[in-house]
Amino acid sequence: MRLLALVTAAVAAALLLASCGGSDDAKGGKKVSIALTNNGCAPAKLSTPAGPTTFEITNKGSDKATEFEVQKGSEILGEKENITEGLSGSFSLNLQPGRYTTFCGLATPKGVLVVTGKAQRAQANPKLDAAVRGYDRYVRDQVVALRTATKAFTDAVRAGDVEQAKQLYAAARVRYERIEPVAESFGGLDPAIDARINDVEKGQEWTGFHRVEQALWTKGSTKGMTPIADKLDEDVGLLETKVDAAGYQPAQLANGAVELLNEVSKSKITGEEERYSHLDLVDFQANVDGAKQAFVLLRPALNRRNPTLARTVASRFDGVDAALAPYRRGVTFVDYSTVDPAQRRKLSQAVDALAEPLSQVGGTIVAS
Amino acid sequence: MALTRRALLGAGAASGIAAAGIAGYEIGSSSSDEEAVAGTAVPFTGRHQAGIATPAQDRLHFAAFDVVVDDRRSVRELLREWTAAAARMTAGRPAEPSAPNALLPPTDTGEAMGLGPSQLTVTIGLGPSLFDHRFGLASARPAPLQPLPPLPGDELDPERSGGDLCVQACANDPQVAFHAVRNLTRIGRGTVVMRWSQLGFGRTSTTSRSQSTPRNLMGFKDGTNNLKAEDVAALSRHVWVGSDGPAWLRDGSYVVTRRIRMLIEAWDRASLQDQQETIGRTKTAGAPMGERHEHDPVNLRSGAIPADAHIRLAAPDTNGGVRILRRGYSFTDGFDDELGQLDAGLIFIAYQRDPQRQFVELQRRLGANDALNEYIKHTSSAVFAVPPGVRSGTDWLGRGLFEAPT
Repeated sequence: MRLLALVTAAVAAALLLASCGGSDDAKGGKKVSIALTNNGCAPAKLSTPAGPTTFEITNKGSDKATEFEVQKGSEILGEKENITEGLSGSFSLNLQPGRYTTFCGLATPKGVLVVTGKAQRAQANPKLDAAVRGYDRYVRDQVVALRTATKAFTDAVRAGDVEQAKQLYAAARVRYERIEPVAESFGGLDPAIDARINDVEKGQEWTGFHRVEQALWTKGSTKGMTPIADKLDEDVGLLETKVDAAGYQPAQLANGAVELLNEVSKSKITGEEERYSHLDLVDFQANVDGAKQAFVLLRPALNRRNPTLARTVASRFDGVDAALAPYRRGVTFVDYSTVDPAQRRKLSQAVDALAEPLSQVGGTIVAS
Repeated sequence: MALTRRALLGAGAASGIAAAGIAGYEIGSSSSDEEAVAGTAVPFTGRHQAGIATPAQDRLHFAAFDVVVDDRRSVRELLREWTAAAARMTAGRPAEPSAPNALLPPTDTGEAMGLGPSQLTVTIGLGPSLFDHRFGLASARPAPLQPLPPLPGDELDPERSGGDLCVQACANDPQVAFHAVRNLTRIGRGTVVMRWSQLGFGRTSTTSRSQSTPRNLMGFKDGTNNLKAEDVAALSRHVWVGSDGPAWLRDGSYVVTRRIRMLIEAWDRASLQDQQETIGRTKTAGAPMGERHEHDPVNLRSGAIPADAHIRLAAPDTNGGVRILRRGYSFTDGFDDELGQLDAGLIFIAYQRDPQRQFVELQRRLGANDALNEYIKHTSSAVFAVPPGVRSGTDWLGRGLFEAPT
């Protein structure tokens, strides 16, 4: 999976209009009052400067006009529905210069909204900057630890010590799985380090952790593994170099966290990832660790935008922890082949319950 | 999504088909007559939930859910959100309105765009297990809402039975029904998990005089003598909960679902005479045995209908006048890899005002004596209370229960 779909700040700013997704975000913007009448939206012709704008809509007695929409061509950019007599409502938009149509109900004429001034750019956000710095530090820490743990593991492989290598395997895997989306963003590095046997195309050599895993657990041998161990050290070193040079965008942190959970759903819960060692729950926990780290760093910014979402995501992380708890054995986990299908389903559902709200975080923190 | 609605609006006005939609919207359909009928919207608001006395649509997606949180407020919020989303989707609109935002997952999953309302109905029910200790609803559980007792011939899979909540989505386009269940499942993520689900590909009942009688997978016409939407008095007597039930369920109903696996290979080996005597009707015309036409009255005294024939045992006259509104669908889950046979049958769905006195009594008799039992297995079972409809855009399904003084 190609993750780090890099959503850059420039792209975000280039969006014609980004909805703030509700009145939660209606901070600091201009307010525009709209009345719903049987003659349509009042005023029928509006002019307002570009920028974050909250529409406050009231219906004091129209049965024909019961909603308010801002449209550009055939697209609805923002709307509030079901504002029947006596009710009111609001929504916010970051308005960009241009001419828009307003719509208050089928039985009433449409209106015009003219937005004047300059295009709005996303503003610098110190909380997001801090999150990005924190994540950069986290990834560097993990990759340094990965190099060390991998070296200890490959040393045991080169020494032909099967039992020792098996003992050290999990510690290296944890470091990798925590930052997997970052590694995946560097093209061929992830396949070289982390390919499963079925990921390898005909004519290509299978390298990386799982090649050694297979040798250790199914053959009980390190025979022929020295070149694989050497290559693994080399690839992990390369990853470290690339991480040193990398930079991140806030939305990347959040989207990377979702990708980590997708990894859990796709290959850990199915037992495909660690099919020889059955250490899938170790990887599962590491993926969740990485996702949680990103969330914890983004939380201050998210709290300002949408505290309810922040609380929901936090409680769903707790739900995943609780789902994993029965399988924890100190710092490691039970052999995944002992976890039956009904138990796996519960784990999967806990991950889905977390990933759904988490998928809202990226767009929410960068929305203007 | 916005495009869809606008396109529909224009066409709806032109063809003069405009069902009373929600919140002042009128939704029509595309230009050809056939599409216009298939595409019209069924009103969401009303005294009863849609999808019961509504003329049976062609396709079903039924799903049962378990609540995974332990607070009452989350369940209430879910029912509120489900109601709003169901109202919008029934009108052919996205599950959740929102401005498009390239940085967020789309709020609606999108596969129903351009398909129109397709007569979608979304019917929501509450299972007996919702009234356990978790949500403070135990004292509100109506007496008839309890798991069905063991019945003769049951071979139930508990994993495919029961559930705290259910969603019955019916539409003329299977993708529209799927879209409804998918989006409600998504909205519920973290609050509920799907417990079991069943697709139905063809209606096996007639619920309106305007419809012709379909055939089930045994090749027989099914539902000839079903209750019909036009039988207002009979519906009141047999389907809608009246003043005998709790206030929050008045004008609601109960639904029983049974996944009835047909032993198709065995049935296909039965002679025509055996098949007809098993059902009690002729295969081609669908006439009661001893009669000529499908709609000829069933004469239980003529001697033509065997003592163990299905229609005799199911007839109201055999059951003290008990009737139910059947709304079942044919299903197939493909291939039974254990037996190497087709996995197909009838997802039986029936509405009634008291499942213990209606379905249970009927099934006791049928399960013990029905000649059809040789060819079928009941493999799942569930019962749900189905609250009344919502009356306005701000009302929500189950509100009477959750807002009742405790």
